[in-house]
Amino acid sequence: MIAFQDPLGQLPPQASTFAADHDALFYFLTWVSIGSFALILGLLTYSCVRWRRKTPDQPAASDVTHNTKLEVVWTLIPAIIVIVVFAWGFKGILPQQIAPADARKYRAEAYTWAWELYHPGATKSAGELWFEVDKPARVELTSRDVLHAFFIPAFRVKRDIVPGFRNQIWFQPTLIGDYTLFCAEYCGDQHSMMHRVVHVVDAATYVKEPWAALPETPEARGEYFFNMKGCLACHGTKADSPDPIGPTFFGIYGRKGRLSDDSEYTADEAYIHESIREPQKKIVKGRAPVMPPFDATSLSEEDVNDIIAWMKTLK
Amino acid sequence: MTTHAPAHEIPTVEGRREPDYLRVTKGFMSWVTTLDHKRIGLMYLFGVTLAFIVGGIFAMLLRAHLWNPGPDGQMFSPQDYNQLFTLHGAFMVFAFIIPAIPGSIANFALPLLIGAPDVALPKLNLASFYLWLFGTVLLSYSAITNGLDTGWTFYTPWSLKSQTAVLSAGLGVFVIGFSSIFTGLNFLVTMHKMRARGMGWFQMPLFCWAIYASSVLQVLATPVLGITVALLAFEHIYHIGVFDPAEGGDPVLFQHFFWFYSHPAVYIMILPGMGIISEVVSTHSRRPLFGYKLLAFSSIAIAVISFLVWGHHMYTSGQSEFAMQAFSFLTVLVAIPTAIKMWSWVATIWGGSIALTAPMLYAIAFLVIFTIGGLTGVYLAALAIDIHLHDTYFVVAHFHAVMMGSTAIAFFAGVHHWWPKMFGRMYNEKLASIAAIVILTGFMVTFLPQFEMGSQGMPRRYATYSEQWVGYHRASTVGAMILGAGFALMVGYLLHSLIAGRKAKPNEWGGVTLDWKCPTPPNLYNFDDEPIAGKLYDYGPTLKR
Ligand SMILES: [Cu+2]
Ligand SMILES: [Cu+2]
Repeated sequence: MIAFQDPLGQLPPQASTFAADHDALFYFLTWVSIGSFALILGLLTYSCVRWRRKTPDQPAASDVTHNTKLEVVWTLIPAIIVIVVFAWGFKGILPQQIAPADARKYRAEAYTWAWELYHPGATKSAGELWFEVDKPARVELTSRDVLHAFFIPAFRVKRDIVPGFRNQIWFQPTLIGDYTLFCAEYCGDQHSMMHRVVHVVDAATYVKEPWAALPETPEARGEYFFNMKGCLACHGTKADSPDPIGPTFFGIYGRKGRLSDDSEYTADEAYIHESIREPQKKIVKGRAPVMPPFDATSLSEEDVNDIIAWMKTLK
Repeated sequence: MTTHAPAHEIPTVEGRREPDYLRVTKGFMSWVTTLDHKRIGLMYLFGVTLAFIVGGIFAMLLRAHLWNPGPDGQMFSPQDYNQLFTLHGAFMVFAFIIPAIPGSIANFALPLLIGAPDVALPKLNLASFYLWLFGTVLLSYSAITNGLDTGWTFYTPWSLKSQTAVLSAGLGVFVIGFSSIFTGLNFLVTMHKMRARGMGWFQMPLFCWAIYASSVLQVLATPVLGITVALLAFEHIYHIGVFDPAEGGDPVLFQHFFWFYSHPAVYIMILPGMGIISEVVSTHSRRPLFGYKLLAFSSIAIAVISFLVWGHHMYTSGQSEFAMQAFSFLTVLVAIPTAIKMWSWVATIWGGSIALTAPMLYAIAFLVIFTIGGLTGVYLAALAIDIHLHDTYFVVAHFHAVMMGSTAIAFFAGVHHWWPKMFGRMYNEKLASIAAIVILTGFMVTFLPQFEMGSQGMPRRYATYSEQWVGYHRASTVGAMILGAGFALMVGYLLHSLIAGRKAKPNEWGGVTLDWKCPTPPNLYNFDDEPIAGKLYDYGPTLKR
């Protein structure tokens, strides 16, 4: 069977087994819609030109106000079309409901406003996702706080992530390339920053576990974690970055200030370490206790030290 | 009360047996304590238009913010952007579009259309207005004090964690809900009890049928909104554990509650709009509505089905396949009565005597945009497609086609249609035609790019976005400014007409429904003599005969 191709190129690349089915129905509806729209526009234009009132007392041209045959036809045709669309759409989601038994198990934990992405067998989370082409993958979805949604347009899949529940999603990537994972359910301040790169790679690349690879220097690794763990959602890196939620990291190392109990603090290594592991312990005066904690499965001791090393360079 | 004045004190107005309702009493108090459905309608018209302007300013600000993809170089912080789209939605939905047509147009025209001196329960009518006002004040208070950043949907648990004014805004929505219930109830009683002699159910103009259907929805569905907001408040204050997973609650339950109201609410908005279009299309084409009975029944069918489709907002929530199947099937069924309406309007225009007046141009804009809104609704009803399109700009564009492009434009078609009846003055028709065309253009430029972005996967409610969508967003922003200009022009010439507009003819459009058989503007109790309903939509002989 030849898979459906996107004739106008207006949809994202077809990068999973679900994409062609979705696109076929999408275009079926698009042609039906364009046809109906053109028909209605044509009829309206024709009427307005042909029967435009030229004299103030011009009566209507037609006295037909009812036609059972016509009414049956224009009820039945849309009825048939929409029932076909319903059945087609339902058939389309059935395979999405149950993952094949051999699907590789991933886990995505969403929180405001970032992801912990666990690859099969990994105990440490990664910042981006890697899938092997043509191999089914299943992602278990959990949330630490509010609603989020796991959405990869190139795969045509989306599933809400509901706190307190365990949802899952599966797909089989078919096209090597880089795509985007979005959070599609509004989750507050930095909702729009919850996007990550999704890599579909060949078997040879996949076995090298690219998700475990990290930049060479501690400072570069620190910056990488800053980007991946969603720190950038609340913290800037420039002197003039806006800071409605958290402080900018520019010049933060060694900074002094006051905590909510009016005691003084200095942002040294121990303080920053604690602020990452147990952010609720000490709250800077005037700030809300909103930062999520990062434990060792998210950031190892080494990772935290890398972040501190990188922070020292921001001045 | 100042509704009666002794006959000898009434100044005689030339050519009238009684002074019109605008002049029968004078002064601020005579307006704010009025029980006259027409004056209450005008107060609503004034109020909802203000709400529309506020909501519209929010819309233009958020579109301006999206000119650049961010995070650098944008007008607002993401938090402020989130507040803007929330307040835009909350004002437009609760303070403008739900009360707009029932409160203003139906209040003014419904009793006239059925030949009644007023609504059945005038005091309840005034109470509805003040409830709306109080609720809207609460919403504005929330906006000014702490803002609101939950989206107009208030989804839990974010709405429980948000630091913004969720409680006062929720109370505002709760109060506006009661206003809506009272209005619906009032119209139902009015239609049952006060139709003119000789007017059976199937001699009612179709606007009345549409209002009947939407009133049933208002009375039956709105209490669920009240329950939802009340539970949200209890959860907020007492942590009773219904919606908050941290307290053992279920956030998806909130969505079920919310959409059990808010899907029918879509038809509370659009059905009255469809009713206006029926009247406008018929009057300005001099043709009785084609397939009257089918049109009337399709309103009822839409109202009934609309109760059973709320789950289509939750296809991606982890619903069972069975639930998805049922909701999807019922949702596509709505397309059938909707298509019937569309064809009936087209067939009404076909072979008519078509005057391209301002109301007719607005109605044609409605027909064009509603076609888009209806067809894109089928995309979203289809399961496989909705999984991809859910929570993207495609959805945003779809419901703006139905609400802004259809309901709001139908509302303005109604305003232009009954304006001469309301005030006895005519606006500048040339400017009105230009505004209608500008608004239609603005709509297309704003929302067609959004359909495109959405199908490419651009999620909604995003303060920042990826570079690939810059062009679409900029086009959309330009469109929003065109829309803003169109509406500003409209408000301008309408206000101008009150001062300097020419005097309206007694029957400006040659309408044949009862609303055109009372004096212009109407008397305090509308008609000079008790009207008797004759044949409906009787435009006299046609060319063919
Ligand atoms: Cu999110
Ligand atoms: Cu709905």
